[in-house]
Amino acid sequence: MSLFTLATAAAQGSTSALLSTYIPFIVLMLFYVILFLPGVGQRFQSYFITKDIEQRLLVLEKYANEAKGTTERLLKEKGAKDPKGLTERLAEIFVIDPVSVEPTDIISRMRLLMRSGQNKVKDMIKLSVPKADPVTVSKIEVSAEITNALNMVYKVVRHYLLQAKKLNNFYLLFQLQMVVPMLVKIAESYDKAHKTFVEGKPVGDSLGPMVASRFLLNSEKKWQVSDETIAGETYYEGRRLIVVKAEGPMATVGTPGEAVEKVVEENKGRVKRIITVDAALKLEGEKTGSIAEGTGVAMGDPGPEKIAIERVAVRYGIPIDALIVKMGMDEAIIEMRKEIYDAVDPVVEMTKQIIKERTEEGDTVVIVGVGNTSGVAQ
Amino acid sequence: MSEQKNQTSTATVVKCMSCDYNVEREYRDGDYVMKVEGTCPKDGGKLYIAGIYMKEVRRK
Ligand SMILES: [Zn+2]
Repeated sequence: MSLFTLATAAAQGSTSALLSTYIPFIVLMLFYVILFLPGVGQRFQSYFITKDIEQRLLVLEKYANEAKGTTERLLKEKGAKDPKGLTERLAEIFVIDPVSVEPTDIISRMRLLMRSGQNKVKDMIKLSVPKADPVTVSKIEVSAEITNALNMVYKVVRHYLLQAKKLNNFYLLFQLQMVVPMLVKIAESYDKAHKTFVEGKPVGDSLGPMVASRFLLNSEKKWQVSDETIAGETYYEGRRLIVVKAEGPMATVGTPGEAVEKVVEENKGRVKRIITVDAALKLEGEKTGSIAEGTGVAMGDPGPEKIAIERVAVRYGIPIDALIVKMGMDEAIIEMRKEIYDAVDPVVEMTKQIIKERTEEGDTVVIVGVGNTSGVAQ
Repeated sequence: MSEQKNQTSTATVVKCMSCDYNVEREYRDGDYVMKVEGTCPKDGGKLYIAGIYMKEVRRK
């Protein structure tokens, strides 16, 4: 009896010792086996990716809602009847791209669609706040545009996330996880831009109009040349300068292409040079505010305005110069940084240099300050 | 987090149309570039806003 008990006890003791030594290993092995079963690791990963994207989606939603709130507030301040309803309509408004498989006259179709899209927004705002001044209307317009963009970013990310979840598509999630941080960054700069535009301060992109305004300082003759665009005449070292910029201090880019076309036609093509000045996207590693000179129309337009200048230049054989100041994508739409402001006077000097070196006394030169003229008058 | 946050402020640059008078002040609501305001203390010329830009003020 006592021998039996002793044997059992010994056996038990050794088994438990054995178990306590190996259990962690067994568990770990099991864990790895499960993890390497096809699909399991992926499940884990997609769980974490989904959580990550959901978190960022919340940020995008916050930006979209804040933008809507700002537009609504602006409309309310000016006494709009239904600020919420109008904001919702503006946040969802869209322009359909023209047919591109048949490129004939695509530019005029594009211009028509873009302009009528913009005019529609402006008319909706004017109708709702008839007493607001043009500067305020332009602020609300830009605010609506930013709200629309942020709303779109949020909805598209949400769409792909829901679709990926619904279809259980790991690769879609993976792609989404790669682009979403960039989209959040863009949304963040849009959010900052919104504040700057509403306050009516110059943004990085206002560099071109600011350079133009320097030339217009002593101009006696200024006239509205095309929609939301101003031209002014001034003289420098015996040359007649016609300076074109968007009409400030409204937050608009104007219609510089149409303006230059008109100016050149009015002068029957007797223009020696066209000099375009604009903010340009820098490459990562380049310094903000660095200046470069080149050839062609410096303009970030989708097509219609830029081509108008190229066509009229071709018609009369006018060389086009480009002066650009480099900045990051976010810097172009947020408050103008000192580095960019510090480039204004050097660019003015470079423009004068070009005029002195490449034209003669008695010539006419067209200078175009391209960009959003928020907070920059003439 | 111990990262430094940059606080920004907006500066307005006022220049004289006829001499080199040049002064920088705090941005005020309603300021815009090319706005004419006041006369120059040096020679009585017209003053205008030449620029508005963002300044970064570092703080811990
Ligand atoms: Zn003075």
